[in-house]
Amino acid sequence: MLELKGLSKHFGGVRAVDGLDLRVPRGEVFGLIGPNGSGKSTVVNLVCGLFPVTAGEVLLRDEDITGLASHVRVARGVTRTFQNIRLFGQLSVWQNLWVAQNSTEHRSEGFLRRWLGGPGRAREEIDRILEFSDLSGKRDELAGNLAFGEQRRLELARAVVAKPALLLLDEPAAGMNAEEIDQLDARIRKLKQDGLTTLLIEHHMELVMAVTDRIAVLNFGQKIAEGTPDEVQTNPLVQQAYLGVAEAA
Amino acid sequence: MDFYLGLAQIVGVHTLLGLSAYCVLLTGQVSLAQAGFFAIGAYVAAMLTVLAGWHIVPAIAAASFVAGATACAVSFPALRVKGLMLVVATLAFGEAVRLFFFNFDYQVAKGEVKIGPAGGEGFRQIRFFPENGWSTLDVLIFIWLFVALVMAGLWWMDRSRAGAVLRAVGEDEVAAQSAGINVTAVKVAAMTVGGFIAGLGGGIFAHYTAHIEHAQFGVALATFAIAYPILGGLSSVFGTLIAVVFVQGFLIEGLRFLGDWRNLLFGGLILLAMNVRPRGLIDAATIAAVKRMRTSNKEPGNARTQGAE
Repeated sequence: MLELKGLSKHFGGVRAVDGLDLRVPRGEVFGLIGPNGSGKSTVVNLVCGLFPVTAGEVLLRDEDITGLASHVRVARGVTRTFQNIRLFGQLSVWQNLWVAQNSTEHRSEGFLRRWLGGPGRAREEIDRILEFSDLSGKRDELAGNLAFGEQRRLELARAVVAKPALLLLDEPAAGMNAEEIDQLDARIRKLKQDGLTTLLIEHHMELVMAVTDRIAVLNFGQKIAEGTPDEVQTNPLVQQAYLGVAEAA
Repeated sequence: MDFYLGLAQIVGVHTLLGLSAYCVLLTGQVSLAQAGFFAIGAYVAAMLTVLAGWHIVPAIAAASFVAGATACAVSFPALRVKGLMLVVATLAFGEAVRLFFFNFDYQVAKGEVKIGPAGGEGFRQIRFFPENGWSTLDVLIFIWLFVALVMAGLWWMDRSRAGAVLRAVGEDEVAAQSAGINVTAVKVAAMTVGGFIAGLGGGIFAHYTAHIEHAQFGVALATFAIAYPILGGLSSVFGTLIAVVFVQGFLIEGLRFLGDWRNLLFGGLILLAMNVRPRGLIDAATIAAVKRMRTSNKEPGNARTQGAE
């Protein structure tokens, strides 16, 4: 589904991502972990097109999307959530999802119909996703007035409503309590059943280990390990990266 | 009576000007170019009726298109900059337009007099209304017909998906982009529609004042243009209308008896209004309250019909 070839992003002298090669197979939940500042979020920003790359390629379904603008990538099926929630606070929950219906399929529905309210099918779709996100009761609430957990759910809903093929989740569990994390876990699994490919960036290890099929570990912008959750957990390099190298005498 | 008709004309034209800035502000852009588009509309429409002998309706339609096309062309380079830089860029554009008309001399001899824009002296004798025998009331109705049309159009747009998309861009461009919205296209579209409405307002303005000159389209007018929607609030087009009535009717005309003290109070009252109602005179809470009033009015009505059955 997603392939990164020699992907690099330098901010001045800082090599945030440095020659990263990665393959995310179709239909899998792929975890990307690493210590703070290891370049995980930068990878998401490069894949969704918020920053231009310094070098390398981003391939989606074997097509090069490296030079495409963000909104074009959404139409191609790449959507994301943000680590620090970025909803449209002055719009209602419903409107937040309405403006995000931007897949190629939605776009082909006819310009006028879409802008003037859209066909009933698009509305039904929003209702279904509201239900999936447990936000049906809040549809007319302003997004800015929602509780934190609800805002997190709306962020996920907004990424899903565009019918993505590849979902980029940037620390979706940050600030959530145990119960909310369980619900998130269930939602990620449900989306996987529906055939969605997910790239999950997360610090909450229990969630990552439970929900992912494969994991890659980043440190200083480079991949230091990749494998199944079990393989990664026992990898000494990973333990060093997280716990620091014992400067042996 | 004529005083009030004249005031209502001013309010109508300034509402169009304010609504043009409202469109652009929805996308989070502060543009001081609206007076420039207004000036373009005024000169183009006046030249068409005076020099080419057009009827006023096609003349102001053409003027709107010219102003809209200019806004579209200007917005591509202008929207590459943001925030304060955009304010400066659009201010520079507005001043460039004003100075263009300061130097624009295109006079044609008609019998013994010369007509047409005469640079710094302005463009005199825009006499479509008196020549065709329109009374002040006719002109007033003509103006408010367009104001009503534009307000209805924008009110409807506000409720459609387009309105939500404009607001989404205004709130957070990065999030809008990541939600699949083509942010540049949305901003250019808003500027174009804004320019179109400003041009319409300008075209009407030129004909009811009968005399336009560059000094009318300066920074003060540009500031008024954005002050209306900011003061009125971005929740509804009616906010802009109320702000124009408040500023033109109350602050400018109503306080005339204060003489020179008026200007001082003027600034103070706007400051006060913004402090009391930081999200504008009409904000989301006002609209929610109106909706609640409407639904509670309906309920006793329902009870009565049930009782009758």
